[in-house]
Amino acid sequence: MDSILVLLLLSTLRLTLPLFFAAMGGYFSEKSGVAQIALESYLLVGAFTAASVSFFSGSVIFGYISAAVVTALFAQIFCLLILKLKGNSIVIGTGMNLLAMGIIPIVSKSLFNSTGSTPSLELPTYNSWLPYIILIAVIFVSYWLSEKTIWGLQMKFAGEKKLALQSVGIDSITRQWQSLTYSAFITGLGGAVLSTALSSSYSPLMSAGRGFIALAALIFSGWNLTRSLFVCLFFGFCEALQIQLQSNQLISSYVAAEFIQMIPYAATLLALLLFKSKFSPPVELR
Amino acid sequence: MKISFKNLAPWLGLLIGISISCLLALFFKESPIHIFKVLVTSFLNSKFDMGLTLFYTTCLIFSGLAFALPMKAGLFHIGSEGQILFSALIAAYIGSLVVPYDNSFSIIFSFIYVCMITLLSGALAALLLALFKLFRQAHEVVVAIMLNFVFAALTTWLTVNHLQNPESQNPETGLISPALRFLQNDFLKLYFDNSAVSSFLLVAILACFILGYLEKKTLIGYQIRAFGQNPQAAERIGISSKKILILSLGLAGVFSACVSLTEVFGNTFQYKIGFSPQYGFLGIAVALLARQNFVGIIGSAFLMACLHKGASDLDLETEFLTRDFSRVLQAVIIFSVAASYYAFSRKNTVNKKRKN
Repeated sequence: MDSILVLLLLSTLRLTLPLFFAAMGGYFSEKSGVAQIALESYLLVGAFTAASVSFFSGSVIFGYISAAVVTALFAQIFCLLILKLKGNSIVIGTGMNLLAMGIIPIVSKSLFNSTGSTPSLELPTYNSWLPYIILIAVIFVSYWLSEKTIWGLQMKFAGEKKLALQSVGIDSITRQWQSLTYSAFITGLGGAVLSTALSSSYSPLMSAGRGFIALAALIFSGWNLTRSLFVCLFFGFCEALQIQLQSNQLISSYVAAEFIQMIPYAATLLALLLFKSKFSPPVELR
Repeated sequence: MKISFKNLAPWLGLLIGISISCLLALFFKESPIHIFKVLVTSFLNSKFDMGLTLFYTTCLIFSGLAFALPMKAGLFHIGSEGQILFSALIAAYIGSLVVPYDNSFSIIFSFIYVCMITLLSGALAALLLALFKLFRQAHEVVVAIMLNFVFAALTTWLTVNHLQNPESQNPETGLISPALRFLQNDFLKLYFDNSAVSSFLLVAILACFILGYLEKKTLIGYQIRAFGQNPQAAERIGISSKKILILSLGLAGVFSACVSLTEVFGNTFQYKIGFSPQYGFLGIAVALLARQNFVGIIGSAFLMACLHKGASDLDLETEFLTRDFSRVLQAVIIFSVAASYYAFSRKNTVNKKRKN
């Protein structure tokens, strides 16, 4: 029994990894006043880039770096359309998700001649400690950026009161742009974790709604960085539970696999139903 | 109708979007002109292809309405995909249960009965969303996505474990009862060489005109629009937000259910897993292209249907591009249409200022 519990806790931590990154990414975007539902597409792009770059170069570290950079570049489309051309962030975010879902199979077809998974990495290329080290580094950098620097204060003011920011001579759009790019940068790392640490290749639509779950975690936590990480742990636990239950023969003979797979999504809905959020969103969030 | 620059903006955006997507093809060593030709002319290949395009048009009109209607009330309703799956399964199941007697009255009565239950199931699925929004102030987009996952899992489980067609290897339910398959001999279907199209096309077009009338000429249409423009002001003059939310989302669910009726009673007469090429999301592009104008949705749905048909032919016509290109196309069209509102309306206001 003990070993199952330990296994469950360990896999909780492992499965929460991408959620941590995505929730932090969502934090930086929502706090600066841009509703972010494109996290899903960032995860996908990051996962695909990391898997294919690590495959070609043979180095996972290179995969992580390129995933972050490529996702940040990909997010420039989002930034341009929302900040310069004043598109609606929900509409554009939905478009980004569609774009990621559509473009990845095509690129994959021209690189690997298959629209499905990328070829799997060999065992020594992925290191089990690397994602945790990156996670801790990203948490520190994000916390420092948002709480301890003037940039963080200005970024939050872009989400709370643009006029105040403009009155001291700072362009709120620039701050939003930087914040959105950083948000995509770290979410891309989360995608890289998904394809190189949680599995050994990219498989189609492997993010499976994690971007939205991370967004829900962020909303529960009341747009708070540290609290959102703990909420993520809860969702990670649901996912770990799902995998544990599926591999348990006794339970899976009683409960259909589809219901067990539903657990993370149903838990999100249940949490939304049970806990009425007493926090209010950033004022200029749109 | 006045044709002004502002009304044309989304269409210009569409043109830009198509050209960008065709140019994207250059990256994959394909000729943009060839891609454009396939995209635009593939629906003209045969009568059967035209019928298929009109079938897509029907589905897209309904899903476009399902997005546009809540949009009028300021809601982003992206949950229609889940509602479509759920109500399609209900339609196929109830349709196989109900066995009418051999007279036309009984057939018509049971057809209406099944339709009503399907529409109701769609509306109930959408009302779940409204409840979350009303009582928990949860963001409708997050709830809708989660519900989409839950409905997809639920319908898959029901189909595979309980309603599987024993005569088939594919995951699908049994056919609906033979008497209810009378749309097989539909005049539109016969005209287009037994293609997927059915008389639901006429229903869809009628629905657009009725909604256009309701929106412009009745009190409730005005209330929904007022709520969408300014919720606080609308509440202050006594428009109940509960009523607007429930009505607009409920109707959206009804239109999502219409998509599944079109599929189950007009095309395959059963529920197949994965029958929907994400009509719910295609509907977003359709509604945006028409600027949420209900009558305009007919035109934009036809256009998107042609493009969708073309994109699914790219599989055969090209080496590297797959049917996933349809999604890229949708995304680029959404982007360019959404951006064109600002880009062109700004030019307009600048011109007006100069005139003054």
